[in-house]
Amino acid sequence: MGSAMKLVTWSLATFHATVFVLVIVLFAYSRDALGAGLSGLNTFVGLGLFVALWATTYVTTSRALQGLDLIGSARDRSGYGWRAFRWGAANGMSFLAILGIVAIFTAVSNTRPGQVTSGILLPAVFIAPFALVISAAVGGVVGLIFGTIDLGLFALAGLNEQDAEPTV
Amino acid sequence: MELDPHVLHVAIRWLHVAAMATAFGGAVTVLALSTRPDVDSAGAALGVAVRYEWLFWAAAGVLAMTGIGNLAAFGSGLLGPATSWGMTLLLKLGSVLALIVLSLPRTLAVARLCVSSGAMADSVVTLRNLYGATAGAFAVILALAVWLAHG
Repeated sequence: MGSAMKLVTWSLATFHATVFVLVIVLFAYSRDALGAGLSGLNTFVGLGLFVALWATTYVTTSRALQGLDLIGSARDRSGYGWRAFRWGAANGMSFLAILGIVAIFTAVSNTRPGQVTSGILLPAVFIAPFALVISAAVGGVVGLIFGTIDLGLFALAGLNEQDAEPTV
Repeated sequence: MELDPHVLHVAIRWLHVAAMATAFGGAVTVLALSTRPDVDSAGAALGVAVRYEWLFWAAAGVLAMTGIGNLAAFGSGLLGPATSWGMTLLLKLGSVLALIVLSLPRTLAVARLCVSSGAMADSVVTLRNLYGATAGAFAVILALAVWLAHG
């Protein structure tokens, strides 16, 4: 069971990261806003952000699935939605933290030493708690949406039977 | 030292094609293995399918990442969705999204076959259907990609 759940964790994490990004790309392109959005983004930064999202999603998905047997237990699947919400919020905050650190380092390297504290660090400390709350809320909602989609896809894969009654 | 953006874009394209070759070629391989009639090959096909699923999701992540990198190479010169090229790109992105969404139940079904002790003959039929559909979807996406690149 261990290796099967490892495969499920890897596939769910990559599924969430790629679908999240693809939906944004599809939406932006259908509004003819993708070219302008991507042209302002450095290629290495763009690739790095995707890898960071993939990594945080993998870590949070692993934690969300810890101790669950999604393949064999209907009871474990019923508790999945709440975990998806909770760890989605954690993923939102983790990704924002990485974004924030990269943004602060970039800003500090492009600012005169005398202006770093008042121009960057103090505003960052003030904004961080609000940004973390918003990222947790967005991550939680996205996690809940993905949790619901996942349960539908589990059912499509035939994983919707109830657990067998224990026999004496 | 600044990296030549053309070299970077060629590297991203190479990675994109390599990931596509892995995902498409792997699906065709599992399909070919599951069309063999003997029961002994059913276990081998299932073993290869499980390994393929690990590779498939790695390739899916790389394809999404490098695909966006390829679009970024166009910059503000990216044709809009109202053009014929843009409509084909929308169709391709939609097909990729559908393939990824429908690949999760495939992976779950393979993981379930792996832990169940069901009849191998049934497993082979399931694998044949799953990987036939996956290979077909990849063929459509590849055709759209070729049209976008050279059409």
